[in-house]
Amino acid sequence: MPMGHTATEQAGSGGLTATEHRLANGLRVVLSEDHLTPVAAVCLWYDVGSRHEVKGRTGLAHLFEHLMFQGSSQVKGNGHFELVQGAGGSLNGTTSFERTNYFETMPAHQVELALWLEADRMGSLLTALDEESLENQRDVVKNERRQRYDNVPYGTAFERLVAMAYPEGHPYHHTPIGSMADLDAASLEDAREFFRTYYAPNNAVLAVVGDIDPEQTLAWIEKYFGTIPSHDGKRPPRDGTLPDVIGGQLREVVEEEVPARALMAAYRLPHDGTREADAADLALTVLGGGESSRLHNRLVRRDRTAVAAGFGLLRLAGAPSLGWLDVKTSAGVEVPDIEAAVDEELARFAEEGPTPEEMERAQAQLEREWLDRLATVGGRADELCRYAVLFGDPQLALTAVERVLQVTAEEVRAVAQARLRPDNRAVLVYEPVQGAQQADDTAEDNDAEGESAQ
Amino acid sequence: MSDAVTTTMTFHPQPSAGAAKLWAFPAPERAELSNGLTVLRCHRPGQQVVAVEINLAAPLEAEPAGLDGIATIMARALSEGTDKHTAEEFAAELERCGATLDAHADHPGVRVSLEVPVSRLPKALGLLADALRAPAFPEGEVERLVRNRLDEIPHELANPARRASMALSKELFPAEARMSRPRQGTQETVEGIDAAAVRAFYETHVRPSTTTAVVVGDLTGVDLDKALAETLGTWTGGAAEPRPMAPITADDTGRVVIVDRPGAVQTQLLIGRIGADRHDRVWPAQVLGTYCLGGTLTSRLDRVLREEKGYTYGVRAFGQVLRSAAPDASGGATGAAMLAISGSVATEVTGPALEDLWKVLGTLKEEGLTDAERDVAVQNLVGVAPLKYETAAAVAGTLADQVEQHLPDDFQAQLYTRLAETGTVEATAAVVSAFPPDRLVTVLVGDASKIEEPVKALGIGEVRVIQG
Repeated sequence: MPMGHTATEQAGSGGLTATEHRLANGLRVVLSEDHLTPVAAVCLWYDVGSRHEVKGRTGLAHLFEHLMFQGSSQVKGNGHFELVQGAGGSLNGTTSFERTNYFETMPAHQVELALWLEADRMGSLLTALDEESLENQRDVVKNERRQRYDNVPYGTAFERLVAMAYPEGHPYHHTPIGSMADLDAASLEDAREFFRTYYAPNNAVLAVVGDIDPEQTLAWIEKYFGTIPSHDGKRPPRDGTLPDVIGGQLREVVEEEVPARALMAAYRLPHDGTREADAADLALTVLGGGESSRLHNRLVRRDRTAVAAGFGLLRLAGAPSLGWLDVKTSAGVEVPDIEAAVDEELARFAEEGPTPEEMERAQAQLEREWLDRLATVGGRADELCRYAVLFGDPQLALTAVERVLQVTAEEVRAVAQARLRPDNRAVLVYEPVQGAQQADDTAEDNDAEGESAQ
Repeated sequence: MSDAVTTTMTFHPQPSAGAAKLWAFPAPERAELSNGLTVLRCHRPGQQVVAVEINLAAPLEAEPAGLDGIATIMARALSEGTDKHTAEEFAAELERCGATLDAHADHPGVRVSLEVPVSRLPKALGLLADALRAPAFPEGEVERLVRNRLDEIPHELANPARRASMALSKELFPAEARMSRPRQGTQETVEGIDAAAVRAFYETHVRPSTTTAVVVGDLTGVDLDKALAETLGTWTGGAAEPRPMAPITADDTGRVVIVDRPGAVQTQLLIGRIGADRHDRVWPAQVLGTYCLGGTLTSRLDRVLREEKGYTYGVRAFGQVLRSAAPDASGGATGAAMLAISGSVATEVTGPALEDLWKVLGTLKEEGLTDAERDVAVQNLVGVAPLKYETAAAVAGTLADQVEQHLPDDFQAQLYTRLAETGTVEATAAVVSAFPPDRLVTVLVGDASKIEEPVKALGIGEVRVIQG
């Protein structure tokens, strides 16, 4: 039977609280009430991602996520989408290295429907899964890969950086989209086996956030999910342990039809959930987040050698996180000039650390980003699931911003010195080549639109 | 696995909905500062990040001949230093507030968007006011923005979706119309922009009396009147002549343009024409019908192209207002919307995918929408409103769109009532007239050597290939 406890209200969490419960079958439940708007989010995280995939079956977790929308025992065909949208809800699912999530944001009076739908597929997907939907979604996912990776300039950069930063055989060596060959090879039996292995109530966290009656919501959860059998078929992912630093500079030069030279790099950074990861986040923000960052000021404003220059952070819990440098050069600029300037800025930062003003700005930026995440019931539900699945404690979501604000300048400097160094990075350089029929005949069609069509 | 074999799940029937709770699109409070600047404000409890949207009446059409892109450069240059701060200082001060400031120019005018935690709203409003009131437009910074813009152009040309969008505008609109040309200018026009021209454009078109500020968020404990009076209220400037808007015309003769991309693994498609804007009474029916055609993956297009055939990751139909003017006494559309179908399909199935797409349009025209389709669409479009407008930024964006399109402040609120009243017959008529199979301009960005012949065989109009 469900057991619950109420957390005390946390400072800095905007008055948000969350309660935790566990069903007898192991399903963990997090509830958070907020009656300001008549909406509620249902978010379900399964503790399975591309890191659980085996050689020859990359992309299976994501392909499988698509199959979760193809019907289950009581839900026909596209019924999951149809019922949620017909109820005025919105929905989706996403797959990353470390988890697969499914979410519905509903008008408050339709929450029960979302719970019923999620329970139906958690308990009975295999009764509806067939060859036809597998073949169809295989084609859809291959087109997703083409659209997002293969048919856009620099589209495979992330895949290439990840493949260098996490060595062959490492569970994070490949990205969730997978390879075309492996997508082709996935069989119905692979999909069934994947479901039997990873889709179980005791391998998931369910968060319901928003305009809810917690007691009623919990009763519905018990009713719909309570009889889904648990099992311990799950296989843990392969060990993701790696040394803190790569220990040498890796490098790949890509000659492709891209519009400009680019310098990208992936740095190995501390694991998500640690104070050092928050310090790294601040370091990357000072160096390459926004228009007052050091790299923007140096490369875009002063040297005028780059169109755009910045850092991004991919937080990972089961392997070192990844700091992603991305610089697109201005016309006529050579990559070594950019690289020298980047190295100089990183070295100076490692030595001096951030100024008090830089710390204030970076912390203010991360605070706003965090407030943005918590501004919607869907964002809040996702964060509660994240901390529950990856760190065992959803309450940590409510105090995350405080932890970022507690980091000191010296900690930021220290993590930069330890990690943002040439021997801890995989470098990816793009050199443009002209396509065979890409004549210089662009004058006639030299247009640029201010927005994409969709 | 032993537990799983011995126990099975208990199934329950699909639950029915509880009692719906009332929700209405928020009504803003409208006021005018002493300098003539219009303010719309809206209190949204719980929204700690406040959104401020500024509309400047500087339409692209007002750009001087040969200087396409100057509105974009001006918009970007607003945050490159003021009478109080250098460019670098301004960026730093803004980020110290935890704020973001974006500015962009589009056909109806320039939009400046500020987002900031409410605790730092007054300070951020001060910076925003400085940028609007006293931009420095330093020569060196404007020159840098021009060079930066020139460097961006090849990236936009390389992006299949953006390339398709430019080609469609060029096809649809007459060459002399500003809408036929890229919003942010071309290499030729951007090269001619300098600080003096930017200042002249600013002085001609930017002033408080033609500016609107929309402020949305949790304003508990904020003395917004005081904050506005001390910031945007200190901006001075004269009155302006109203600027008439030229009528929008387009040639939608059915035809195909292939932008050649040798070796492309997908074909980006963009199929469009222009149609009614929000002032037209057909708008709700057009929204409803367009959703049924291609609003989501269970709409007609994706039901075939994605969920049956697997040709695509998704194809969408949409209507996006280009520009509207104030209504005259007669009522009806005052401007136009781009009506289009967009997506990408695998290269080798480009012909079959387009054939199916046209079949979907043909069937829709012959058989119309079903009542069930219409009902689900209304339930979705009306039902998602409280979700869609959860954040301050979403509310502010829609209110600013309404201002920009000369619509009443309660337009969106009324739209939900009108959607609910729209029947199947009206929605069918609207979508069929929005997407007539023989009056659509098709742009395909893809490998001409592979797709030209199959596309010619479809008979959807003359096929022309241009270089990528």
